[in-house]
Amino acid sequence: MRAYRALLRKDLLLELRGRELVPAMVVFVVGALVLVRLGLGGERLAGGTRAATGLLWVVVVFTSMLALVRSFAQEREHGIWDGLLSAPADRSAIWAARASATFLFLGVTQAVALPLFWLFFLQDGRSPSLAVLAAALALADLGVAMLGALLAGLVSNVRAREVLLPVLFLPFALPLVSVAVRMTVDSIPPQNGGLGALHGLGFLALYDTIFALLGWALFEYVVED
Amino acid sequence: MNGSHRARPDRATAAATAAALLMALALAMIFFYVPTDVSEGYSQRIFYFHVPIALTTYFLFTWGAVNGARFLLKRDMSLDLKSYVPMHLGVIFGSLTLVTGSIWANIAWGTWWFWGDTQLTTFLIIFLFNCAYFMLRFSIEPGERRATFSAVYAVLGVGLIPLSVIGVHVAQTNDLIHPITFNENGANMDGSMFLTFLVALAAMITLSVTMYLIELRGKRIDDRLRAIRRLAGGEA
Repeated sequence: MRAYRALLRKDLLLELRGRELVPAMVVFVVGALVLVRLGLGGERLAGGTRAATGLLWVVVVFTSMLALVRSFAQEREHGIWDGLLSAPADRSAIWAARASATFLFLGVTQAVALPLFWLFFLQDGRSPSLAVLAAALALADLGVAMLGALLAGLVSNVRAREVLLPVLFLPFALPLVSVAVRMTVDSIPPQNGGLGALHGLGFLALYDTIFALLGWALFEYVVED
Repeated sequence: MNGSHRARPDRATAAATAAALLMALALAMIFFYVPTDVSEGYSQRIFYFHVPIALTTYFLFTWGAVNGARFLLKRDMSLDLKSYVPMHLGVIFGSLTLVTGSIWANIAWGTWWFWGDTQLTTFLIIFLFNCAYFMLRFSIEPGERRATFSAVYAVLGVGLIPLSVIGVHVAQTNDLIHPITFNENGANMDGSMFLTFLVALAAMITLSVTMYLIELRGKRIDDRLRAIRRLAGGEA
């Protein structure tokens, strides 16, 4: 636990001082939302808030990839790996700290993205339930962060890692997005049945649990050399 | 290790013979024995190819993941090959599933692809996962690291398969179209159809086992040849 706290502190401090990742993610998410708005017809919103809500999730996935690709970049570029691995601490702590840091970065980015989403898309239409959207985002971020930390560790010493990571990550994002989109779109009034928020959140929690267990169990194999 | 060498060719030959016989029997049953489906007509016979191929694909992925997990526990390099070969065959059978499924979809529903169908979507996710496995595997130099990383990713697939099945079902509530072959009451077809289906499934699985044995042997010979070349000082 002490190792986890120290590692998380290191990750947050590095970001706070270097400001490498979060500003880039914020700019990216703003640009992507503008792109979506223009892609949906600019002035007249094609497909309405339903299409926009679905595309918000696509933007979320692509933004999180930005965070994942830079995951462990510092460790690689400055030779921190050897120090981390020779420390007498459980290696899962490295994974847990990285996942927590990514989760926080995603949270900060979405704190900017959600108001913009409202401003760009929801002002003159029916909006999805913000409570459902925020809960779904939090659970989805958690899953993405935990799985992403494992995959980022996996590719950190592989050539062409920047290309490989999205390829490895996308199949895992598909069930997540399909449920998240369905539940947030179905929370747009008028609600006539569809996927209940609790069912959707239950699935996201299951997703998080499975990848928490797999990430925790498999990470030590990823960093062994 | 040397003692088992002689037994291996026999196993492959036996499997190949069994596969050929079963496949001939399955084809005969599909085209001459089983009655034509009342609602879908003659073309429904593609069912006896499509569903066994799809089930074989799941079988191969599971097999690959199980051997991947065993590799992580035992560190035996032969298990790496035993994990890779089923994954590789899974891509072949997976492509065939998508092609036969698409043909069947066009016959039955008049469209080549239908997103409302949960089984097609689930299968596509798992197929993409498998393609990603290959991207990962071939970005790493051969050796223990490649074996480990491939195994880790294969084991992650064990988490992905049930999640895709559940997730796609949860997200799509209008799954009424995909023909339901099995439900809680057992097989949803008459006796002769079920028998034909079982024979076709056995034929497909035996075929995949045969391909597995042959590919595994080829890969082992390849590895040994490379080792000999290295010893001889030539290029690896």
